[in-house]
Amino acid sequence: MNNKYMNPYLAGFLLGIVLLMAFFFSGRGLGASGAVKSALVYGMDKVAPTHTVENAYFGHYVADDANPLNNWLVYEILGVIVGGFLSGALSRRLKLKIEHFPGISSKRRLVFALIGGVLFGFGSQLGRGCTSGSALTGMAVLSVGGFVTMAAIFGTAFAGAYFFRKNWIG
Amino acid sequence: MGPLVPNEVIGANWNFLIAFVIGIGFGFVLEQAGFSSSRKLAGMFYGYDTVVLKVFFTGAITAMLGLLFFSLFGWINLNLVYVNPTYLWSAIIGGVIMGVGFIAGGFCPGTSICAAAIGKIDAMIFIGGIFLGVFIFGEGFPLWEKLYYAMDLGAPKLNQVLGISGGFFAFLVIIAAAIMFWVGEWAEKKFPREEY
Amino acid sequence: MRARNITVGIMLLLGLVIAMVPENTTKPYKLTADQLLRAVNTGTHMIHPDYLAEWLINKDPSIQLVDVRSPDDFEKYHLPNAINIPLADILNPDYQVIWDQGVKFNVLYSNGSTDSNEAWMILRQLGYQNLGVLMGGLNYWTEVIMNPEEPPVTSPNDEIAKYEFRKGASQALGGGAATTKTATTDTEIKKPKIVPRKAKKAPQGGC
Repeated sequence: MNNKYMNPYLAGFLLGIVLLMAFFFSGRGLGASGAVKSALVYGMDKVAPTHTVENAYFGHYVADDANPLNNWLVYEILGVIVGGFLSGALSRRLKLKIEHFPGISSKRRLVFALIGGVLFGFGSQLGRGCTSGSALTGMAVLSVGGFVTMAAIFGTAFAGAYFFRKNWIG
Repeated sequence: MGPLVPNEVIGANWNFLIAFVIGIGFGFVLEQAGFSSSRKLAGMFYGYDTVVLKVFFTGAITAMLGLLFFSLFGWINLNLVYVNPTYLWSAIIGGVIMGVGFIAGGFCPGTSICAAAIGKIDAMIFIGGIFLGVFIFGEGFPLWEKLYYAMDLGAPKLNQVLGISGGFFAFLVIIAAAIMFWVGEWAEKKFPREEY
Repeated sequence: MRARNITVGIMLLLGLVIAMVPENTTKPYKLTADQLLRAVNTGTHMIHPDYLAEWLINKDPSIQLVDVRSPDDFEKYHLPNAINIPLADILNPDYQVIWDQGVKFNVLYSNGSTDSNEAWMILRQLGYQNLGVLMGGLNYWTEVIMNPEEPPVTSPNDEIAKYEFRKGASQALGGGAATTKTATTDTEIKKPKIVPRKAKKAPQGGC
Protein backbone atom coordinates (compact mmCIF):
# COMPACT_ATOMS: atom_id res chain seq x y z
CA MET A 1 0.00 0.00 0.00
CA ASN A 2 1.42 3.38 -0.83
CA ASN A 3 1.78 6.00 1.82
CA LYS A 4 -0.49 8.57 0.25
CA TYR A 5 -3.76 9.23 1.96
CA MET A 6 -6.87 7.68 0.58
CA ASN A 7 -9.16 9.65 -1.69
CA PRO A 8 -11.38 11.58 0.74
CA TYR A 9 -14.63 10.61 -0.98
CA LEU A 10 -13.72 6.96 -0.92
CA ALA A 11 -12.67 7.28 2.73
CA GLY A 12 -15.93 9.03 3.49
CA PHE A 13 -17.90 6.30 1.80
CA LEU A 14 -16.07 3.63 3.81
CA LEU A 15 -16.59 5.64 6.99
CA GLY A 16 -20.29 5.74 6.19
CA ILE A 17 -20.34 1.97 5.68
CA VAL A 18 -18.62 1.43 9.04
CA LEU A 19 -21.16 3.71 10.69
CA LEU A 20 -24.02 1.95 8.93
CA MET A 21 -22.74 -1.40 10.15
CA ALA A 22 -22.63 -0.05 13.70
CA PHE A 23 -26.31 0.85 13.31
CA PHE A 24 -27.18 -2.41 11.63
CA PHE A 25 -25.48 -4.65 14.17
CA SER A 26 -25.67 -2.75 17.42
CA GLY A 27 -28.37 -0.16 16.79
CA ARG A 28 -26.05 2.66 17.73
CA GLY A 29 -23.49 4.88 16.14
CA LEU A 30 -19.82 5.52 16.67
CA GLY A 31 -18.24 7.48 19.45
CA ALA A 32 -15.01 8.32 21.17
CA SER A 33 -15.17 10.52 24.22
CA GLY A 34 -17.56 8.13 25.97
CA ALA A 35 -14.72 5.63 26.14
CA VAL A 36 -12.49 8.24 27.72
CA LYS A 37 -15.18 8.89 30.30
CA SER A 38 -15.47 5.16 31.03
CA ALA A 39 -11.72 4.83 31.45
CA LEU A 40 -11.64 7.90 33.66
CA VAL A 41 -14.45 6.65 35.87
CA TYR A 42 -12.74 3.28 36.12
CA GLY A 43 -9.53 4.95 37.25
CA MET A 44 -11.32 7.25 39.68
CA ASP A 45 -13.17 4.29 41.13
CA LYS A 46 -9.86 2.56 41.81
CA VAL A 47 -8.31 5.62 43.44
CA ALA A 48 -11.26 7.07 45.36
CA PRO A 49 -14.26 4.73 45.26
CA THR A 50 -16.51 6.56 47.69
CA HIS A 51 -15.89 9.87 46.07
CA THR A 52 -16.68 8.44 42.63
CA VAL A 53 -19.91 6.77 43.69
CA GLU A 54 -21.07 9.95 45.34
CA ASN A 55 -20.31 12.10 42.33
CA ALA A 56 -23.51 13.30 40.71
CA TYR A 57 -22.23 12.78 37.19
CA PHE A 58 -19.93 9.77 37.40
CA GLY A 59 -21.74 7.97 40.19
CA HIS A 60 -24.22 5.98 38.17
CA TYR A 61 -21.48 4.44 36.04
CA VAL A 62 -20.14 2.62 39.07
CA ALA A 63 -23.44 2.12 40.89
CA ASP A 64 -24.10 -1.47 41.96
CA ASP A 65 -20.45 -2.33 41.37
CA ALA A 66 -20.89 -1.95 37.64
CA ASN A 67 -17.68 -2.00 35.69
CA PRO A 68 -17.57 1.14 33.58
CA LEU A 69 -15.21 -0.58 31.16
CA ASN A 70 -17.99 -2.98 30.14
CA ASN A 71 -19.14 -0.53 27.58
CA TRP A 72 -19.63 -0.72 23.84
CA LEU A 73 -17.58 2.41 23.22
CA VAL A 74 -14.62 1.11 25.21
CA TYR A 75 -14.36 -1.92 22.95
CA GLU A 76 -14.95 0.20 19.89
CA ILE A 77 -12.09 2.52 20.87
CA LEU A 78 -9.77 -0.42 21.46
CA GLY A 79 -10.64 -1.33 17.89
CA VAL A 80 -9.86 2.22 16.74
CA ILE A 81 -6.39 1.95 18.27
CA VAL A 82 -5.78 -1.36 16.51
CA GLY A 83 -7.27 -0.14 13.22
CA GLY A 84 -5.35 3.11 13.28
CA PHE A 85 -2.13 1.27 14.07
CA LEU A 86 -2.70 -1.24 11.26
CA SER A 87 -3.39 1.51 8.77
CA GLY A 88 -0.33 3.45 9.90
CA ALA A 89 1.81 0.33 9.63
CA LEU A 90 0.54 -0.47 6.15
CA SER A 91 1.11 3.05 4.92
CA ARG A 92 4.44 3.38 6.77
CA ARG A 93 3.33 6.24 8.95
CA LEU A 94 4.27 4.80 12.32
CA LYS A 95 6.56 7.31 13.92
CA LEU A 96 6.82 8.93 17.32
CA LYS A 97 6.69 12.62 16.63
CA ILE A 98 5.15 15.91 17.52
CA GLU A 99 3.51 17.21 14.42
CA HIS A 100 3.14 20.94 14.10
CA PHE A 101 3.29 23.87 11.77
CA PRO A 102 7.01 24.65 11.28
CA GLY A 103 6.47 28.23 12.44
CA ILE A 104 5.78 27.25 16.06
CA SER A 105 7.73 25.34 18.67
CA SER A 106 6.88 21.80 19.74
CA LYS A 107 6.21 23.08 23.22
CA ARG A 108 3.66 25.55 21.98
CA ARG A 109 1.99 22.80 19.96
CA LEU A 110 1.74 20.58 23.02
CA VAL A 111 0.37 23.34 25.22
CA PHE A 112 -2.35 24.06 22.69
CA ALA A 113 -3.05 20.35 22.22
CA LEU A 114 -3.61 20.08 25.96
CA ILE A 115 -5.89 23.11 26.01
CA GLY A 116 -7.81 21.76 23.02
CA GLY A 117 -8.16 18.39 24.70
CA VAL A 118 -9.49 19.90 27.91
CA LEU A 119 -12.03 21.96 25.98
CA PHE A 120 -13.07 18.99 23.89
CA GLY A 121 -13.37 16.77 26.95
CA PHE A 122 -15.52 19.31 28.71
CA GLY A 123 -17.59 20.22 25.66
CA SER A 124 -18.24 16.62 24.70
CA GLN A 125 -19.76 15.92 28.11
CA LEU A 126 -21.89 19.04 28.02
CA GLY A 127 -22.96 18.40 24.43
CA ARG A 128 -23.54 14.67 25.04
CA GLY A 129 -21.10 13.57 22.41
CA CYS A 130 -18.24 14.73 20.26
CA THR A 131 -17.73 14.98 16.53
CA SER A 132 -18.19 11.26 16.03
CA GLY A 133 -20.77 10.50 18.70
CA SER A 134 -23.00 13.50 18.35
CA ALA A 135 -22.30 15.23 15.06
CA LEU A 136 -21.53 12.36 12.67
CA THR A 137 -23.81 9.75 14.22
CA GLY A 138 -26.51 12.27 15.01
CA MET A 139 -26.55 13.54 11.45
CA ALA A 140 -26.90 10.04 10.05
CA VAL A 141 -30.04 9.44 12.11
CA LEU A 142 -31.25 12.99 11.30
CA SER A 143 -31.19 13.94 14.97
CA VAL A 144 -31.78 17.61 15.66
CA GLY A 145 -29.07 17.55 18.31
CA GLY A 146 -26.61 16.06 15.83
CA PHE A 147 -27.08 18.87 13.34
CA VAL A 148 -27.01 21.53 16.05
CA THR A 149 -23.78 20.16 17.56
CA MET A 150 -22.22 19.79 14.12
CA ALA A 151 -23.06 23.36 13.20
CA ALA A 152 -21.81 24.65 16.55
CA ILE A 153 -18.49 22.78 16.36
CA PHE A 154 -17.62 23.65 12.79
CA GLY A 155 -19.12 27.13 12.95
CA THR A 156 -17.08 28.01 16.03
CA ALA A 157 -13.93 26.46 14.64
CA PHE A 158 -14.30 28.50 11.46
CA ALA A 159 -15.07 31.64 13.39
CA GLY A 160 -12.14 31.06 15.74
CA ALA A 161 -9.68 30.11 13.02
CA TYR A 162 -8.51 33.67 12.68
CA PHE A 163 -7.40 33.84 16.32
CA PHE A 164 -5.39 30.67 16.11
CA ARG A 165 -3.87 31.27 12.69
CA LYS A 166 -0.34 31.63 14.11
CA ASN A 167 -0.50 28.01 15.20
CA TRP A 168 -1.42 26.62 11.83
CA ILE A 169 -0.55 28.91 8.94
CA GLY A 170 1.66 31.51 10.60
CA MET B 1 -34.29 -7.92 11.03
CA GLY B 2 -31.80 -5.27 12.05
CA PRO B 3 -30.47 -3.86 14.25
CA LEU B 4 -29.28 -7.34 14.96
CA VAL B 5 -28.26 -7.09 18.60
CA PRO B 6 -31.20 -5.06 19.97
CA ASN B 7 -33.51 -7.31 17.96
CA GLU B 8 -31.87 -10.34 19.54
CA VAL B 9 -30.94 -11.88 16.20
CA ILE B 10 -27.40 -11.93 17.54
CA GLY B 11 -26.77 -12.57 21.21
CA ALA B 12 -25.89 -9.58 23.34
CA ASN B 13 -22.59 -11.17 24.31
CA TRP B 14 -21.38 -10.66 20.75
CA ASN B 15 -21.94 -6.96 21.02
CA PHE B 16 -18.52 -6.09 22.40
CA LEU B 17 -16.76 -8.17 19.76
CA ILE B 18 -18.80 -6.38 17.11
CA ALA B 19 -17.85 -3.08 18.72
CA PHE B 20 -14.19 -4.04 18.52
CA VAL B 21 -14.39 -5.03 14.85
CA ILE B 22 -16.34 -1.89 13.96
CA GLY B 23 -13.75 0.12 15.88
CA ILE B 24 -10.98 -1.40 13.79
CA GLY B 25 -12.81 -0.31 10.66
CA PHE B 26 -13.39 3.14 12.11
CA GLY B 27 -9.75 3.61 13.12
CA PHE B 28 -8.47 2.24 9.83
CA VAL B 29 -10.62 4.54 7.73
CA LEU B 30 -9.83 7.59 9.85
CA GLU B 31 -6.12 6.96 9.54
CA GLN B 32 -6.28 6.23 5.82
CA ALA B 33 -8.20 9.44 5.28
CA GLY B 34 -5.43 11.40 6.96
CA PHE B 35 -7.36 12.23 10.12
CA SER B 36 -4.31 11.27 12.14
CA SER B 37 -2.72 14.56 11.19
CA SER B 38 -3.76 17.65 13.09
CA ARG B 39 -2.42 19.86 10.33
CA LYS B 40 -4.68 18.14 7.83
CA LEU B 41 -7.66 18.48 10.15
CA ALA B 42 -6.99 22.13 10.91
CA GLY B 43 -6.51 22.78 7.20
CA MET B 44 -10.26 22.60 6.90
CA PHE B 45 -10.61 25.88 8.76
CA TYR B 46 -8.03 27.72 6.67
CA GLY B 47 -9.22 26.33 3.37
CA TYR B 48 -5.95 24.68 2.39
CA ASP B 49 -7.18 21.13 2.98
CA THR B 50 -10.85 20.33 3.15
CA VAL B 51 -10.52 16.59 3.53
CA VAL B 52 -12.45 16.76 6.83
CA LEU B 53 -15.42 18.28 5.12
CA LYS B 54 -15.40 15.69 2.35
CA VAL B 55 -14.92 12.66 4.55
CA PHE B 56 -17.30 13.84 7.22
CA PHE B 57 -20.18 14.67 4.92
CA THR B 58 -19.67 11.74 2.57
CA GLY B 59 -19.64 9.46 5.62
CA ALA B 60 -22.72 10.99 7.23
CA ILE B 61 -24.65 10.94 3.96
CA THR B 62 -23.64 7.37 3.14
CA ALA B 63 -24.87 6.19 6.52
CA MET B 64 -27.99 8.36 6.28
CA LEU B 65 -28.91 6.96 2.87
CA GLY B 66 -28.00 3.47 4.02
CA LEU B 67 -30.35 3.70 6.99
CA LEU B 68 -33.17 5.08 4.85
CA PHE B 69 -32.78 2.35 2.24
CA PHE B 70 -32.37 -0.38 4.84
CA SER B 71 -35.56 0.84 6.46
CA LEU B 72 -37.32 0.94 3.10
CA PHE B 73 -36.37 -2.67 2.42
CA GLY B 74 -37.41 -3.66 5.92
CA TRP B 75 -33.85 -4.64 6.88
CA ILE B 76 -33.67 -2.39 9.88
CA ASN B 77 -36.20 -1.13 12.38
CA LEU B 78 -35.33 2.51 12.85
CA ASN B 79 -37.31 2.61 16.08
CA LEU B 80 -34.61 0.48 17.64
CA VAL B 81 -31.78 2.68 16.46
CA TYR B 82 -30.52 5.08 19.04
CA VAL B 83 -31.27 8.72 18.29
CA ASN B 84 -29.32 11.23 20.31
CA PRO B 85 -31.51 13.22 22.65
CA THR B 86 -31.54 16.94 22.07
CA TYR B 87 -31.00 19.35 24.91
CA LEU B 88 -30.75 22.50 22.90
CA TRP B 89 -28.62 24.73 25.09
CA SER B 90 -26.07 22.15 26.10
CA ALA B 91 -25.81 21.01 22.47
CA ILE B 92 -25.05 24.56 21.31
CA ILE B 93 -22.73 25.58 24.14
CA GLY B 94 -21.04 22.19 24.21
CA GLY B 95 -20.55 22.45 20.46
CA VAL B 96 -19.06 25.93 20.75
CA ILE B 97 -16.60 24.76 23.41
CA MET B 98 -15.68 21.78 21.25
CA GLY B 99 -15.23 24.08 18.27
CA VAL B 100 -12.66 26.16 20.18
CA GLY B 101 -11.02 22.93 21.31
CA PHE B 102 -10.88 21.76 17.71
CA ILE B 103 -9.11 24.83 16.36
CA ALA B 104 -6.80 25.02 19.38
CA GLY B 105 -5.90 21.35 19.58
CA GLY B 106 -6.28 20.31 15.97
CA PHE B 107 -8.00 17.06 16.84
CA CYS B 108 -11.31 15.72 17.98
CA PRO B 109 -11.44 12.75 20.37
CA GLY B 110 -11.79 10.03 17.72
CA THR B 111 -9.04 11.37 15.51
CA SER B 112 -6.71 11.98 18.44
CA ILE B 113 -6.95 8.33 19.49
CA CYS B 114 -6.25 7.30 15.93
CA ALA B 115 -3.29 9.67 15.72
CA ALA B 116 -1.92 8.50 19.06
CA ALA B 117 -2.05 4.95 17.72
CA ILE B 118 0.53 5.84 15.07
CA GLY B 119 2.76 7.70 17.48
CA LYS B 120 1.72 11.35 17.40
CA ILE B 121 2.81 12.75 20.74
CA ASP B 122 0.65 15.85 20.39
CA ALA B 123 -2.35 13.54 20.06
CA MET B 124 -1.41 11.73 23.28
CA ILE B 125 -1.25 15.07 25.08
CA PHE B 126 -4.62 15.95 23.56
CA ILE B 127 -6.10 12.72 24.96
CA GLY B 128 -4.65 13.63 28.35
CA GLY B 129 -6.48 16.90 27.95
CA ILE B 130 -9.76 15.10 27.23
CA PHE B 131 -9.39 13.12 30.43
CA LEU B 132 -8.82 16.33 32.32
CA GLY B 133 -11.78 18.03 30.64
CA VAL B 134 -14.15 15.17 31.40
CA PHE B 135 -12.87 15.12 34.97
CA ILE B 136 -13.49 18.84 35.39
CA PHE B 137 -16.98 18.47 33.95
CA GLY B 138 -17.86 15.63 36.30
CA GLU B 139 -16.37 17.20 39.42
CA GLY B 140 -18.05 20.51 38.83
CA PHE B 141 -21.27 18.95 37.59
CA PRO B 142 -23.59 20.73 40.04
CA LEU B 143 -22.37 24.05 38.62
CA TRP B 144 -23.61 23.31 35.10
CA GLU B 145 -26.25 20.74 35.87
CA LYS B 146 -29.02 23.21 35.05
CA LEU B 147 -27.49 24.00 31.69
CA TYR B 148 -26.94 20.30 31.04
CA TYR B 149 -30.66 19.60 31.30
CA ALA B 150 -31.98 22.87 29.89
CA MET B 151 -34.47 22.76 27.01
CA ASP B 152 -35.02 19.07 26.74
CA LEU B 153 -36.60 18.48 23.33
CA GLY B 154 -36.64 14.69 23.56
CA ALA B 155 -35.05 12.94 20.60
CA PRO B 156 -36.58 14.71 17.61
CA LYS B 157 -35.49 14.19 14.05
CA LEU B 158 -34.81 17.29 12.05
CA ASN B 159 -37.03 16.21 9.17
CA GLN B 160 -39.96 15.80 11.56
CA VAL B 161 -39.37 19.28 12.92
CA LEU B 162 -39.41 20.61 9.38
CA GLY B 163 -42.42 18.46 8.52
CA ILE B 164 -40.83 16.67 5.56
CA SER B 165 -39.98 13.04 4.90
CA GLY B 166 -36.61 11.64 5.89
CA GLY B 167 -35.84 10.88 2.26
CA PHE B 168 -36.53 14.39 1.06
CA PHE B 169 -34.50 15.81 3.90
CA ALA B 170 -31.57 13.57 2.99
CA PHE B 171 -31.84 14.86 -0.56
CA LEU B 172 -31.52 18.44 0.71
CA VAL B 173 -28.49 17.50 2.79
CA ILE B 174 -26.90 15.96 -0.30
CA ILE B 175 -27.44 19.14 -2.30
CA ALA B 176 -25.94 21.19 0.53
CA ALA B 177 -22.98 18.80 0.68
CA ALA B 178 -22.46 19.02 -3.10
CA ILE B 179 -22.23 22.79 -2.84
CA MET B 180 -19.81 22.56 0.09
CA PHE B 181 -17.61 20.07 -1.75
CA TRP B 182 -17.46 22.42 -4.69
CA VAL B 183 -16.57 25.39 -2.48
CA GLY B 184 -14.03 23.25 -0.63
CA GLU B 185 -12.20 22.25 -3.77
CA TRP B 186 -12.25 25.80 -4.99
CA ALA B 187 -10.69 26.87 -1.67
CA GLU B 188 -8.03 24.21 -1.89
CA LYS B 189 -6.91 25.68 -5.18
CA LYS B 190 -7.00 29.17 -3.79
CA PHE B 191 -4.99 28.44 -0.64
CA PRO B 192 -1.96 26.46 -1.69
CA ARG B 193 -0.34 24.11 0.72
CA GLU B 194 2.86 22.27 0.99
CA GLU B 195 2.81 18.52 1.16
CA TYR B 196 3.54 17.14 4.62
CA MET C 1 -12.43 16.33 -9.07
CA ARG C 2 -13.53 13.17 -10.83
CA ALA C 3 -14.05 11.47 -7.51
CA ARG C 4 -16.19 14.37 -6.40
CA ASN C 5 -18.37 14.23 -9.47
CA ILE C 6 -18.88 10.50 -9.13
CA THR C 7 -19.63 10.75 -5.41
CA VAL C 8 -22.00 13.65 -5.76
CA GLY C 9 -23.66 12.05 -8.78
CA ILE C 10 -24.36 8.77 -7.04
CA MET C 11 -25.52 10.48 -3.87
CA LEU C 12 -27.86 12.78 -5.76
CA LEU C 13 -29.32 9.86 -7.66
CA LEU C 14 -29.92 7.79 -4.54
CA GLY C 15 -31.13 10.87 -2.71
CA LEU C 16 -33.66 11.51 -5.44
CA VAL C 17 -34.90 7.92 -5.21
CA ILE C 18 -35.23 8.01 -1.45
CA ALA C 19 -36.94 11.40 -1.62
CA MET C 20 -39.53 9.98 -4.00
CA VAL C 21 -40.47 6.77 -2.28
CA PRO C 22 -42.81 6.82 0.68
CA GLU C 23 -41.29 5.99 4.01
CA ASN C 24 -41.58 2.46 5.26
CA THR C 25 -43.90 2.73 8.21
CA THR C 26 -45.04 -0.86 8.28
CA LYS C 27 -44.84 -2.55 11.61
CA PRO C 28 -42.49 -5.45 11.21
CA TYR C 29 -43.80 -8.85 12.08
CA LYS C 30 -41.63 -10.50 14.65
CA LEU C 31 -42.85 -14.06 14.33
CA THR C 32 -42.47 -16.22 11.29
CA ALA C 33 -45.51 -18.04 9.98
CA ASP C 34 -44.08 -21.29 11.41
CA GLN C 35 -43.71 -19.88 14.88
CA LEU C 36 -47.21 -18.53 14.84
CA LEU C 37 -48.65 -21.77 13.54
CA ARG C 38 -46.94 -23.61 16.36
CA ALA C 39 -48.43 -21.20 18.89
CA VAL C 40 -51.87 -21.64 17.36
CA ASN C 41 -51.55 -25.41 17.32
CA THR C 42 -50.50 -25.80 20.92
CA GLY C 43 -53.42 -23.60 21.90
CA THR C 44 -51.80 -22.68 25.18
CA HIS C 45 -53.06 -19.14 24.80
CA MET C 46 -56.64 -20.35 25.23
CA ILE C 47 -57.77 -19.62 28.75
CA HIS C 48 -60.59 -21.77 30.08
CA PRO C 49 -63.36 -19.85 31.90
CA ASP C 50 -62.71 -21.89 35.04
CA TYR C 51 -59.18 -20.63 35.22
CA LEU C 52 -60.20 -17.09 34.57
CA ALA C 53 -62.91 -17.27 37.22
CA GLU C 54 -60.39 -18.53 39.71
CA TRP C 55 -58.02 -15.65 39.00
CA LEU C 56 -60.82 -13.13 39.16
CA ILE C 57 -62.04 -14.41 42.49
CA ASN C 58 -58.53 -14.30 43.86
CA LYS C 59 -58.21 -10.81 42.46
CA ASP C 60 -54.96 -11.78 40.86
CA PRO C 61 -53.28 -8.46 40.15
CA SER C 62 -51.23 -9.83 37.29
CA ILE C 63 -54.27 -10.51 35.13
CA GLN C 64 -55.54 -7.78 32.87
CA LEU C 65 -58.82 -8.36 31.10
CA VAL C 66 -59.11 -6.68 27.73
CA ASP C 67 -62.51 -6.38 26.11
CA VAL C 68 -62.06 -6.09 22.34
CA ARG C 69 -65.73 -5.48 21.62
CA SER C 70 -67.23 -2.13 20.73
CA PRO C 71 -67.51 0.54 23.43
CA ASP C 72 -71.32 0.14 23.31
CA ASP C 73 -71.14 -3.53 24.12
CA PHE C 74 -68.60 -2.77 26.77
CA GLU C 75 -70.95 -0.25 28.36
CA LYS C 76 -73.76 -2.78 28.53
CA TYR C 77 -71.78 -5.54 30.11
CA HIS C 78 -68.18 -6.37 30.77
CA LEU C 79 -66.22 -8.57 33.06
CA PRO C 80 -65.04 -6.99 36.30
CA ASN C 81 -62.07 -4.64 35.92
CA ALA C 82 -61.83 -5.20 32.20
CA ILE C 83 -60.55 -2.43 29.99
CA ASN C 84 -61.99 -1.74 26.57
CA ILE C 85 -59.79 -1.76 23.49
CA PRO C 86 -61.98 -2.34 20.43
CA LEU C 87 -60.48 -4.66 17.85
CA ALA C 88 -60.14 -1.80 15.37
CA ASP C 89 -57.99 0.14 17.83
CA ILE C 90 -55.52 -2.43 19.00
CA LEU C 91 -52.68 -0.89 17.01
CA ASN C 92 -53.36 2.59 18.32
CA PRO C 93 -50.07 3.84 19.75
CA ASP C 94 -51.89 4.89 22.93
CA TYR C 95 -52.46 1.26 23.80
CA GLN C 96 -48.93 0.15 23.15
CA VAL C 97 -48.12 0.29 26.84
CA ILE C 98 -50.83 -2.30 27.46
CA TRP C 99 -49.24 -4.79 25.07
CA ASP C 100 -45.60 -3.96 25.40
CA GLN C 101 -44.95 -4.89 29.00
CA GLY C 102 -43.81 -7.76 31.09
CA VAL C 103 -45.77 -7.52 34.33
CA LYS C 104 -49.34 -8.40 33.43
CA PHE C 105 -50.98 -11.17 31.50
CA ASN C 106 -53.58 -9.81 29.10
CA VAL C 107 -56.66 -11.95 28.60
CA LEU C 108 -58.52 -10.86 25.48
CA TYR C 109 -62.20 -11.58 25.14
CA SER C 110 -65.09 -10.82 22.84
CA ASN C 111 -68.58 -12.30 22.54
CA GLY C 112 -67.40 -15.41 20.77
CA SER C 113 -63.72 -15.96 20.39
CA THR C 114 -63.27 -14.87 16.79
CA ASP C 115 -62.52 -11.21 17.40
CA SER C 116 -60.31 -11.86 20.37
CA ASN C 117 -58.45 -14.53 18.44
CA GLU C 118 -57.85 -12.17 15.58
CA ALA C 119 -56.56 -9.53 17.95
CA TRP C 120 -54.34 -12.11 19.59
CA MET C 121 -52.90 -13.19 16.29
CA ILE C 122 -52.03 -9.69 15.15
CA LEU C 123 -50.51 -8.73 18.46
CA ARG C 124 -48.61 -11.95 18.72
CA GLN C 125 -47.11 -11.47 15.28
CA LEU C 126 -45.93 -8.04 16.31
CA GLY C 127 -43.94 -9.81 18.97
CA TYR C 128 -45.98 -8.93 22.06
CA GLN C 129 -46.11 -11.59 24.69
CA ASN C 130 -48.21 -12.31 27.76
CA LEU C 131 -51.39 -12.61 25.76
CA GLY C 132 -54.25 -15.04 26.20
CA VAL C 133 -57.73 -15.45 24.82
CA LEU C 134 -60.80 -16.35 26.83
CA MET C 135 -61.89 -19.68 25.43
CA GLY C 136 -65.31 -19.39 23.81
CA GLY C 137 -65.61 -15.75 24.75
CA LEU C 138 -68.40 -14.27 26.83
CA ASN C 139 -70.91 -16.75 25.41
CA TYR C 140 -69.10 -19.71 26.80
CA TRP C 141 -68.32 -17.79 29.97
CA THR C 142 -72.02 -17.22 30.58
CA GLU C 143 -72.79 -20.82 29.88
CA VAL C 144 -70.09 -22.25 32.07
CA ILE C 145 -69.68 -19.79 34.89
CA MET C 146 -72.82 -17.71 35.09
CA ASN C 147 -75.37 -20.46 34.52
CA PRO C 148 -73.58 -23.65 35.37
CA GLU C 149 -75.56 -26.77 34.71
CA GLU C 150 -75.91 -28.96 37.72
CA PRO C 151 -74.41 -32.34 37.03
CA PRO C 152 -76.44 -35.42 37.88
CA VAL C 153 -75.78 -36.69 41.38
CA THR C 154 -74.21 -39.78 39.98
CA SER C 155 -71.38 -37.77 38.48
CA PRO C 156 -67.85 -38.28 39.66
CA ASN C 157 -66.78 -36.13 42.58
CA ASP C 158 -64.65 -33.74 40.64
CA GLU C 159 -67.53 -32.91 38.34
CA ILE C 160 -69.55 -31.94 41.36
CA ALA C 161 -66.66 -29.99 42.81
CA LYS C 162 -66.34 -28.15 39.57
CA TYR C 163 -70.00 -27.31 39.63
CA GLU C 164 -69.76 -26.08 43.18
CA PHE C 165 -66.89 -23.88 42.21
CA ARG C 166 -68.70 -22.47 39.21
CA LYS C 167 -71.75 -21.75 41.28
CA GLY C 168 -69.62 -19.95 43.79
CA ALA C 169 -67.83 -18.07 41.09
CA SER C 170 -71.07 -17.12 39.51
CA GLN C 171 -72.27 -15.61 42.74
CA ALA C 172 -69.00 -13.88 43.39
CA LEU C 173 -68.61 -12.44 39.94
CA GLY C 174 -72.22 -11.91 39.06
CA GLY C 175 -72.70 -9.58 41.98
CA GLY C 176 -74.27 -12.17 44.29
CA ALA C 177 -73.53 -11.56 47.94
CA ALA C 178 -73.07 -15.20 48.81
CA THR C 179 -69.75 -16.25 50.20
CA THR C 180 -67.54 -17.79 47.64
CA LYS C 181 -66.41 -21.24 47.96
CA THR C 182 -62.77 -21.39 47.16
CA ALA C 183 -61.97 -23.67 44.37
CA THR C 184 -61.09 -27.12 45.45
CA THR C 185 -60.60 -28.55 42.05
CA ASP C 186 -58.05 -31.30 42.01
CA THR C 187 -56.34 -30.09 38.92
CA GLU C 188 -53.96 -27.37 39.81
CA ILE C 189 -54.77 -24.30 37.85
CA LYS C 190 -51.70 -23.39 36.00
CA LYS C 191 -51.18 -19.74 35.65
CA PRO C 192 -49.56 -18.70 32.44
CA LYS C 193 -46.01 -17.66 33.01
CA ILE C 194 -45.54 -14.01 32.47
CA VAL C 195 -42.65 -13.38 30.19
CA PRO C 196 -40.72 -10.42 31.48
CA ARG C 197 -40.23 -7.85 28.81
CA LYS C 198 -36.69 -7.84 27.64
CA ALA C 199 -35.68 -4.33 28.37
CA LYS C 200 -34.85 -3.04 24.94
CA LYS C 201 -32.09 -0.97 26.36
CA ALA C 202 -31.63 1.99 24.17
CA PRO C 203 -27.90 2.04 23.62
CA GLN C 204 -26.25 4.67 25.69
CA GLY C 205 -25.47 8.08 24.38
CA GLY C 206 -22.81 8.68 21.85
CA CYS C 207 -19.47 10.04 22.55
